[in-house]
Amino acid sequence: MTAVVSLKNVVKRYSRGKQQVEVLHGLNLTVESGEFLALMGPSGSGKTTLLNLIGGLDRPDEGEVWVAGSRLDELSSGELARWRARHVGFVFQFYNLLPVLTAERNVEVPLLLTKLSRSQRKQNVQAALELVGLADRAKHKPAELSGGQQQRVAIARAIIADPTLLVCDEPTGDLDRSSAEEILGLLEILNRKQGKTIIMVTHDPLAAAHASRRLHVDKGTLTAQEERSAA
Amino acid sequence: MRRSAGGSERTAAAGGARGRARESPLKYVPLIWAALRRRKARTILTFLSIVTAFFLFGVLQGVNVGIKQAMKLTNTARLVVNSRVALYDPMPIANASRIAAVPGVAHVAGFTVLAGTYQRPSNVQLVIGTDLAAFFDIETDLKIPPAELAAALRTRTGIIVGKALAEKEGWKIGDRIPLHSLNIVKKDGTSDWAFDIVGIYDLPQTEWATRIFGNYDYINDARASAKDTSIEFYVGVKDPGQAALIAQRIDDVFANSPNQTRTQNERDFAESTLRQIGDINYLVNAIVGAVLFTLLFLVGNTMAQSVRERIPELAVLKTVGFSDPAVQWLVLAEALLLSVVAAAIGVGLAALILPAVASFPSQGIAAMHVPNVVFAAAVGVGIVLALASGVPPAARARRLDVAAALAGR
Repeated sequence: MTAVVSLKNVVKRYSRGKQQVEVLHGLNLTVESGEFLALMGPSGSGKTTLLNLIGGLDRPDEGEVWVAGSRLDELSSGELARWRARHVGFVFQFYNLLPVLTAERNVEVPLLLTKLSRSQRKQNVQAALELVGLADRAKHKPAELSGGQQQRVAIARAIIADPTLLVCDEPTGDLDRSSAEEILGLLEILNRKQGKTIIMVTHDPLAAAHASRRLHVDKGTLTAQEERSAA
Repeated sequence: MRRSAGGSERTAAAGGARGRARESPLKYVPLIWAALRRRKARTILTFLSIVTAFFLFGVLQGVNVGIKQAMKLTNTARLVVNSRVALYDPMPIANASRIAAVPGVAHVAGFTVLAGTYQRPSNVQLVIGTDLAAFFDIETDLKIPPAELAAALRTRTGIIVGKALAEKEGWKIGDRIPLHSLNIVKKDGTSDWAFDIVGIYDLPQTEWATRIFGNYDYINDARASAKDTSIEFYVGVKDPGQAALIAQRIDDVFANSPNQTRTQNERDFAESTLRQIGDINYLVNAIVGAVLFTLLFLVGNTMAQSVRERIPELAVLKTVGFSDPAVQWLVLAEALLLSVVAAAIGVGLAALILPAVASFPSQGIAAMHVPNVVFAAAVGVGIVLALASGVPPAARARRLDVAAALAGR
């Protein structure tokens, strides 16, 4: 298998007033193509910071971040934006859909950056919504959908441009157990049947149980690793 | 179609995602439109404010244009004699013969004006009582068939009306027009006057033909007071090149009389009359400038609020791959759409309404309209307004740190 993600001696610091706080301390991580990785750990341990670095939303202060063949810490802001559009799909805890757009318009947003015609975009959006089981809700706005449905729209938006990697930050954190299982089942399908590499941050051990590998982050370092037995 | 990194089967949803090239900036319009619809009430109120401001801009510029065009139509070879004491202060009509005796003067016409309502109180018409023969000799721009002018001269109650006015009121030759006077009472104590239309005059610009001319003697003989007076004398000169000299000669004639005069050519007279109101051009620009300056803060505040409220949404756009400049342009496009469309509608409304106002005879300046240059200026000002109000929030959107914004920092 090939490594999709490779972090080498990554250090990340944040400024809090005049103080510099080191969030990640020389972290190393490799994620193979087709993996479903769960990152677990207490609040403030650096999980989301790590996820942001992998997703190209943030840059390390030291070390190298390689994802999908590109060294992200050396890309300019514009290059990084183009890289994100091509390689990463994001799923957030609170869905982060645009409230005034319908489900189909929300899913279409990443495709606006491609050169697809309107009809092609529409066709792809329809396919993505069918994949997440929401084709009949295409014209609904986020406020007219349940939490689980909104998250499914967010997943459709994340996969619409066929990214290399899906990055999920607490994707079930705002959902009830039943909706959470639906979302996790959907992610598993994307991982197994579509071969998507998924990296998911979660507090929830039940959610993490769906991943093929679990890593624990604590105080900015990876502390424990466990593989899931073959399903 | 790009395959996912692991060479897995392709994601069904993304079939052909980077296929044929066909790009149009219009595809971003739903995003921009959605941003404007996010707070409908605020957007509508801001939009209406801009429409109103640019309506005012269009109307004032239209009035300005009308005044300038009216100025162009004035003639420096025709003289206007007024009382030096005050504009339209009555002077003895007998002065007409003294003016006529001034060397170089060809024709003199004195005036009295009867203001009366026709059919309803709001329809005020002005009848200018004058020496019709002399007046039409001076005002050569007014076209009237000689037979109709002759009819007016032999009919005491006869009036000559402008073609535009006749068309508006549905008048024709032979009609009797009753007017209830607002300013001249008859000797019998009544204020009701009757005039007979005997002629219709026209002008090269028909829309300007909105006045009514009648016989001075008819009004003068019947009036109870201010008899034998003229509020102004209109003078035609034999040699236009001598107009200034003749004006001076006329004023010299009355220099030591109780009715001193101020004689100017028609254009100077019009300009000095306007100066009594003020510098129209300066007033128009000052009012429009103040309105637009206020608008700048209004639109700027709307845009700033709009961006502030949408920080997480803008962060999401950047997350899915919109570049910093792209997000900046989306915000600017929002400001542009709001300002330019509203500006165009505002000026468009002015363009629709001004000619309608101007079509009311005696109500305004007939040439009032919104010329194309004002349309272009409005769009230009709209763009400047959008940029001035949109650049700071757009810059904020551009600088937005995605990770911090998503974390709510």
